[in-house]
Amino acid sequence: MTQDKEQGLAEVREKIKKLLVEELALEDWTVETIADDEILFGQGLELDSLDAVEIVVLLQRHFKVDIPDNEMGREIFYSVDTLARHVHKNLNPGDS
Amino acid sequence: MESHPPMTTRADATGRHRKRGNRLGFWFFKATIRLFGLRGAYGLVHLVCLHYLFFDRQSVEATMAYIRRRFPGRGYMARILGVYRILVNQGKSLVDRYYLISGLGTFEYEVQGYDEIKRILKDSDKGLVLLTAHVGNWQVTMNSLGRLDNTVRLLMRPEDNAAVKETLDVYPHGDKVKTISTASFMGGMIECAKALDNGELVSIMGDRIYGADWTTARILGAEARFPHAAFTLAAATERPVVVVLSGKISTKKYSVDLSHIIRTRYTSRKDRQKDIEKWVQEYATILEEYSGEYPYQWYLFHDIWAGAERQAPPPGHGGDGS
Repeated sequence: MTQDKEQGLAEVREKIKKLLVEELALEDWTVETIADDEILFGQGLELDSLDAVEIVVLLQRHFKVDIPDNEMGREIFYSVDTLARHVHKNLNPGDS
Repeated sequence: MESHPPMTTRADATGRHRKRGNRLGFWFFKATIRLFGLRGAYGLVHLVCLHYLFFDRQSVEATMAYIRRRFPGRGYMARILGVYRILVNQGKSLVDRYYLISGLGTFEYEVQGYDEIKRILKDSDKGLVLLTAHVGNWQVTMNSLGRLDNTVRLLMRPEDNAAVKETLDVYPHGDKVKTISTASFMGGMIECAKALDNGELVSIMGDRIYGADWTTARILGAEARFPHAAFTLAAATERPVVVVLSGKISTKKYSVDLSHIIRTRYTSRKDRQKDIEKWVQEYATILEEYSGEYPYQWYLFHDIWAGAERQAPPPGHGGDGS
């Protein structure tokens, strides 16, 4: 993995964390307190299905990236990192 | 009449849904309409519905749950008659549907609220959430929406898709009506969000729950269960919910009501549950009033009040993303 890719991925992760905190109004979390591999649903951020729909919309709106409507979608929704990797891959298709 | 699925479904004891109606039955009604006209076919419906009244116990019991609350002072025989009237009206609705899609004739529509929807769609390149119910006639409603240029996406269970496709294949606006399956990750919400973003209309049935996400609201004097997917989708995408209801006024005339628009925006994260409950209650109140105008045209072949006294699961519980 190149340094550029790592840096790009880190930037996407930060943007996603910021979106989650601000748009989902996560009162107990800040960008700094969310770990890169923070789990989204059930544990970690403890998001629910209402949040899931909002995240789909946020990703479409801010990155023009869709979440596949299948099992892969479930894997992408596992953590901040899996979400960021999906977004980064779609923004930089040549990097994968 | 089942609104999204063209054939009525009913849940058996295991929760599975069986179809009432089949191709042969539809062919028979179609032939009857050709031979004897609409009124002749309606006459036949009265006989067929006697069969359902005597032998379709599940539907009769579920409909009775509605009739009991709609007409609390009525005795048993009057309530049975009420169930029969509902069965007959549903049969007539099926006849009307085939009359319409067979191109044998058309119906007159009295549409309320059309201009406001047109205005909302004109002001944005995004779509709308249509919240329907098992009231009136789905084809008639779709026909009235056919005047809009937007594609309509029906959110439905996969087992209903094949049946709907059969109808849409011969339906005049079929190319503008497509389906989204609930059997995908997140119950089709991702596709729904995309459709709204593309300026399409997403139609969701509001008076029958299929999954885990539901909320209770008071209707006809008691708490009942309603799905809340339409509202969570609308709130996430910041699009309004248009309640779509229809009723048969006379043999060749329907009323379509699009005038109720519910705006959804969460007041705060911690109050989302309350917000959803408020929106669902608003819908339930609209439905109660509208079905009061057409009391024998609400085809509720399942008991929405059953199990509602239990605490409703919080929104998101059992959700697909969790």
